[in-house]
Amino acid sequence: MTIWLQVDIRSNVPIYVQLIEQIQHALEVGTLSPGDALPSVRELASELSIAPNTIVKTYNELQRMGLIESRAGKGTIVLGKAKEMVRVRQQEALLEHLSTVVHDGSLLGLSAEALRDHFEQAVQQFFSERQQQGDKS
Amino acid sequence: MNDHALEVQGSNPSLQMPSSGTAIQIENLTVNHGTTPVLKGLSLQVPIGSIFGFLGATGAGKTTTIKTLLGFRSPDGGSARVLGYDVSCQQREICMSVGYISETNSLYDFLTISQLCDLSRDMHRRWNQGSVDRYFQLFALPSNKRVKHLSKGMKSQLALCLALGNDPDLLILDEPTTGLDPISRQMFLTTLVREVAAAGKTIFFSSPLLSEVESIADHVAVLHDGSIVLSDELDHLRERQKMVKLVYMEQPPVEEMTLLRSLPGVRQLEQRERVVRLRIEGDTDALVGTIQARPYALRDVEVVAVRLEELLIEYLRGDGA
Repeated sequence: MTIWLQVDIRSNVPIYVQLIEQIQHALEVGTLSPGDALPSVRELASELSIAPNTIVKTYNELQRMGLIESRAGKGTIVLGKAKEMVRVRQQEALLEHLSTVVHDGSLLGLSAEALRDHFEQAVQQFFSERQQQGDKS
Repeated sequence: MNDHALEVQGSNPSLQMPSSGTAIQIENLTVNHGTTPVLKGLSLQVPIGSIFGFLGATGAGKTTTIKTLLGFRSPDGGSARVLGYDVSCQQREICMSVGYISETNSLYDFLTISQLCDLSRDMHRRWNQGSVDRYFQLFALPSNKRVKHLSKGMKSQLALCLALGNDPDLLILDEPTTGLDPISRQMFLTTLVREVAAAGKTIFFSSPLLSEVESIADHVAVLHDGSIVLSDELDHLRERQKMVKLVYMEQPPVEEMTLLRSLPGVRQLEQRERVVRLRIEGDTDALVGTIQARPYALRDVEVVAVRLEELLIEYLRGDGA
């Protein structure tokens, strides 16, 4: 098993959600790639010492999200478009986070103009630093 | 995308464990000890393939429930089915297809392990010596040793091996880890999941310990004063039970608090001046939306998860319902 999943049973995050997040992360960092097989329900339940139905629920949810598919004789396979789908989802989550930042900023008394300035400044700083690093190497 | 998902699920029999249907179905069960009611209209469903933790304070009626499920005592009212068999008239069938470990763990302690094993084999028509031997090896149980010379941990391992001897579809365990040290307890639980649950068998176990239920169960029920006050998937509980902290601009009037209390999903409400804390169950976003639409301005809304342990204790104490 190349992916290394773990669960925190004390966490308030449902276990199947923890597993989905880790599998998405594995796709993002490349420890899991399209075409790879996920461990069987039995294997994973045994490795993590958690109820098999929780794994079934995790896989069903990943399947509903369109990231994996179960093929007769081959097990559960990561689909080709999975990586791109995860990326889109994460972009959405990030942009949502941006609106929280704006909301919190306004509560702290920052004007629309100030927020825009700071955002612009952060963008400029990041890209100019990255360019400098690129020049060095 | 939905169409696609459906199509995928349709072509996918291998992913599903045999998880449809119920292994245990109890309806409105009443059991009396003499004239004292112990179970007072208990209803419960245990899904096939689940690891079901049955919590309750001492004296709540856990053992009585289990003994009734095994047909050791008959219901005074209501009904119960175990693997489809009626507990009031099909005890033989139940005993043949269920593995059971009692609370007292009363093994004949003058016998050696292999003698006890022979005895158990003679009592069961369906006996799988191969798998029993495999479990003996797994726990490194010495077959020539007398039961009375075994440690508590080994005794419960032995009881588990024997309970699995007739290759049961359902294991019913009455406080199986009571008296075990933490390491033996952990090993026992891990084995239960890895060897028994992973093979698709249903496990129903009673326990006085929250941590134990939390660590291996996917379903939990809480028995309080002879009836079930909570029965749910653990992940579902983690998801649906939240604490919401509202900070108002100004202290809201008493009538507003009465209104909040009556909103669907609000289970508890506490107020300290302009800060209000709600324990809620269900759709958090919808409820927060409703509260935000009220005429009293909010400075801040914070949603915090409720720890599973806290929640279960609430129910165990009987405050949950």
